[in-house]
Amino acid sequence: LALALSRPRGEDNIISEEEAAQYDRQIRLWGLDAQKRLRGSRVLLVGLRGLGAEVAKNLILAGVKGLTLLDHEQVTEESRRAQFLIPVDADGQNQAQASLERAQLLNPMVEVKVDTDAVESKLDDFFFRFDAVCLTRCSKDLMVRVDQLCASRNIKVFCGDVYGYHGYMFSDLGQEHHYVEEKPKVVKGSNEANDGPEAKKRKVDPNETTMVKKTISFCSLKEALEVDWTNEKAKSSLKRTPADYFLLQVLLKFRTDKGRDPQPDSFAEDSQLLLQIRDDVLETMGLSSELLPNTFVSYCFSEMAPVCAVVGGVLGQEIVKALSQRDAPHRNFFFFDGLKGSGVVDYFGSK
Amino acid sequence: MGFQYTNIKLEWKCLRKELADSLSSCRVLVVGAGGIGCELLKNLVLTGFKNIEVIDLDTIDVSNLNRQFLFQKKHVGKSKAQVAKESVLRFCPSANITAYHDSIMNPDYNVEFFRNFQLVMNALDNRAARNHVNRMCLAADIPLIESGTAGYLGQVTVIKKGQTECYECQPKPTQKTFPGCTIRNTPSEPIHCIVWAKYLFNQLFGEEDADQEVSPDTADPEVAWNPADAAARATASNKDGDIKRVSTKEWARSTGYDPVKLFNKLFKDDIMYLLTMDKLWKKRKAPLPLDWTEIHQLESSQEEAFGTGLKDQQVLGVQGYAQLFHRSVETLRSQLIEKGEGAELVWDKDDPPAMDFVTAAANLRMNVFSMNMKSRFDVKSMAGNIIPAIATTNAVIAGLIVLEALKTLNSDFDQCRTIFLNKQPNPRKKLLVPCALDPPNPNCYVCASKPEVTVKLNVHKTIVQALQDKILKEKFGMVAPDVQIEDGKGTILISSEEGETEANNNKFLSDFGIRNGSRLQADDFLQDYTLLVNLIHSEELEKDVEFEVVGDAPDKAPAPSVPEEGKNIANGNKDSAQPSTSSKAAAEDDDVLIVDSDEEPSSSTMEASPESSNRKRKHHDADTDATASKRKRLDQQPADDDEDIIALD
Repeated sequence: LALALSRPRGEDNIISEEEAAQYDRQIRLWGLDAQKRLRGSRVLLVGLRGLGAEVAKNLILAGVKGLTLLDHEQVTEESRRAQFLIPVDADGQNQAQASLERAQLLNPMVEVKVDTDAVESKLDDFFFRFDAVCLTRCSKDLMVRVDQLCASRNIKVFCGDVYGYHGYMFSDLGQEHHYVEEKPKVVKGSNEANDGPEAKKRKVDPNETTMVKKTISFCSLKEALEVDWTNEKAKSSLKRTPADYFLLQVLLKFRTDKGRDPQPDSFAEDSQLLLQIRDDVLETMGLSSELLPNTFVSYCFSEMAPVCAVVGGVLGQEIVKALSQRDAPHRNFFFFDGLKGSGVVDYFGSK
Repeated sequence: MGFQYTNIKLEWKCLRKELADSLSSCRVLVVGAGGIGCELLKNLVLTGFKNIEVIDLDTIDVSNLNRQFLFQKKHVGKSKAQVAKESVLRFCPSANITAYHDSIMNPDYNVEFFRNFQLVMNALDNRAARNHVNRMCLAADIPLIESGTAGYLGQVTVIKKGQTECYECQPKPTQKTFPGCTIRNTPSEPIHCIVWAKYLFNQLFGEEDADQEVSPDTADPEVAWNPADAAARATASNKDGDIKRVSTKEWARSTGYDPVKLFNKLFKDDIMYLLTMDKLWKKRKAPLPLDWTEIHQLESSQEEAFGTGLKDQQVLGVQGYAQLFHRSVETLRSQLIEKGEGAELVWDKDDPPAMDFVTAAANLRMNVFSMNMKSRFDVKSMAGNIIPAIATTNAVIAGLIVLEALKTLNSDFDQCRTIFLNKQPNPRKKLLVPCALDPPNPNCYVCASKPEVTVKLNVHKTIVQALQDKILKEKFGMVAPDVQIEDGKGTILISSEEGETEANNNKFLSDFGIRNGSRLQADDFLQDYTLLVNLIHSEELEKDVEFEVVGDAPDKAPAPSVPEEGKNIANGNKDSAQPSTSSKAAAEDDDVLIVDSDEEPSSSTMEASPESSNRKRKHHDADTDATASKRKRLDQQPADDDEDIIALD
């Protein structure tokens, strides 16, 4: 077990009384080992808008060792209203910097740091100091680059965004992600007919459990986004494929082309462009535009706070799972549709 | 106007354009400022809700801080509602928030109060309050969004009078109870021993309760070799014979609460007495008595305390627990003496000697009955009914609540859904599973036009107090019942006015002419709720069973669709405990439970509570709600495919 699972990275292996008291309710859920692994993990979080703030909150409360908040953008009225960490008088400040104080207060036991550089400007080795990287509001090219960089070094990579009522998260936990699952202990059935000494054996508590080791592999973001839809197998799976996957492709292309996300202020031109991009993207994939009906444009502007909460919750928990190496991770996309209230986990990429 | 509502404005044309405006003018009530409540308040203000009232009777505890993010360490001990309001105002100063440090069941919050709001959202952790708010919202005809979480699981649903099921339309499984003889004679699981230890605490140090006996039960039907013998034993134990039964407390007093004498009585003498009831041990492993002196002569097999784990998670040896028993008895004895004549202690999982005592006593009993002993950590989970909780589950659920809230403001109830959050995706890849809401149950004993129930009991053995407390309050969720007999005279049996019918409390129902077929009209005026109770007289109820509601599933059988996680077991109506933690095989089912995650409160919480007169907080026991049974899930499966985006223009 010690070989497959990384050693808890904490400098000391001891949980303090303060931690035990504060983390009590989650230790009772995921166990002390998992908490220790969390406690030894450093995470990079890029993007501190609505989704970023939710993820930051969730990771800080969970008790990671360190969280670096990276964002080069400045606070505007719009961005401030989108999240709960930035004080009301912080317009014009750097977004990550403005979020620092409140973030730190969420849990003084976590080292919260700020980086105001643009993520595109970071060199490779910047990312290597983290155990997990979470990218929000990033371009497709950057995400692909960081993913390629990190996954081979066993750095867990996560991406996520919220577009209006829709949101997604993606994870790449590497070729070999090891984790444990807690399963109920199998109690050997006693031979009821036998009244003898066998019937009087020491009882196994029906609530006793055992830990089962598992390994799972993930593909790269590049592979996940470059699925070949022209082959028969892919085509037959289309019916069960969430339209959100294609919506994501469209929005990522918009972001690359315009350097920003669709803005309510330019609704008319942006929705036109979105429809155009939809046609282009689906055509390139050899697919019909009908996969993504026109109505989609109405629902993907701006970040809805409740959608950030849902996606941020799932994403935050996936990061916790990966770092603690406990419980089966969602593989490899989660799509949330806030209109339907449905949340779907699906795999895209090489099998 | 913030940019998010611009998004809402855009796709909702015509009459729905007013949504953004109605967000800032409508008034909403959030009941509870804990795990879900904190996340919910944050989501509401960020979404644009301006007028919010929040109520919570609780104060902040350090164990809340892993998820109730509006609170910091410096706030421990303060009012949750008040601090939540202050924290929210810091990032949204324009929000208009009113905080109440109070219980929602306080009669001040009457139907008029509820009518002030366009929407009520529950963020509660106990069934009694949920039942109550359900009724208030029905009475006021205000939509209610109900929700719950436990561990990784969560659920949200919408309740609208006349259109959907109310919270009480489907019978919820009541807490599992253990027969008295299991607790007193033949425990087979650690939980039985823990329940026994809590009873013991009350018998020795707290309020003695006839339903919480700890001594061997000679009236155990299993003990007798023939029915006549059983009857004889039963009568013998009830009579004041030569062998007068001394209460456990009296006995303890007589020895000056000597820990060694106590130890030997409970774990040696009483066990040896059990051994004489030999029929019990024909097919079970017989218990092995412990002797104080003998234990301490054994080689200490205790391991060195390891520094890497939680101290509480160590499992001690028999000697260790014997020592712990000794120490805790002495400490509790001192506490009693300090409090003076007639003092009673209240068990509190956060009071170290009380927790030590239960840990020790339960483990010693487990050892006697050949069970693997449990750490203090695990015992505390079970004894204190602790439900594990994390921030992310609450965050997801609170997000879903606001999305449903937006639909209710538009009166789009046909768009509303029950949504389950699972730990793992179901076979159809869904992690979040929306299901259509069900219409009201025409036979619901709460929201039907003329609610009616039939109760089976023994009119000669049921006293009025029991009718009030166990049946009307606990079972049927009334807070302040008024009862009259439909005898043509309208005889008043129970009045909610204090003192008015106190003289009736200890009388039997039959004393009032109540017999088979009698009907009672029970009213709770605060809840605007009238329930007609038909009574069937029965002398054949099972042992330990005081009444049965006709049409209910039997209490004892655990509902098969209830997953391991969140399964609650309890003995009697006062006590609740839960097996320790971790997600078990819950992933199989789509079904998630709105779980009542009410921990046994610490005394500081109790002080803040206006109901502190009810020290046992009987109605706050945690339990499990299977609001969507397997049957329902199967019905809903095809409906999921219809969850297409409906074009709104």
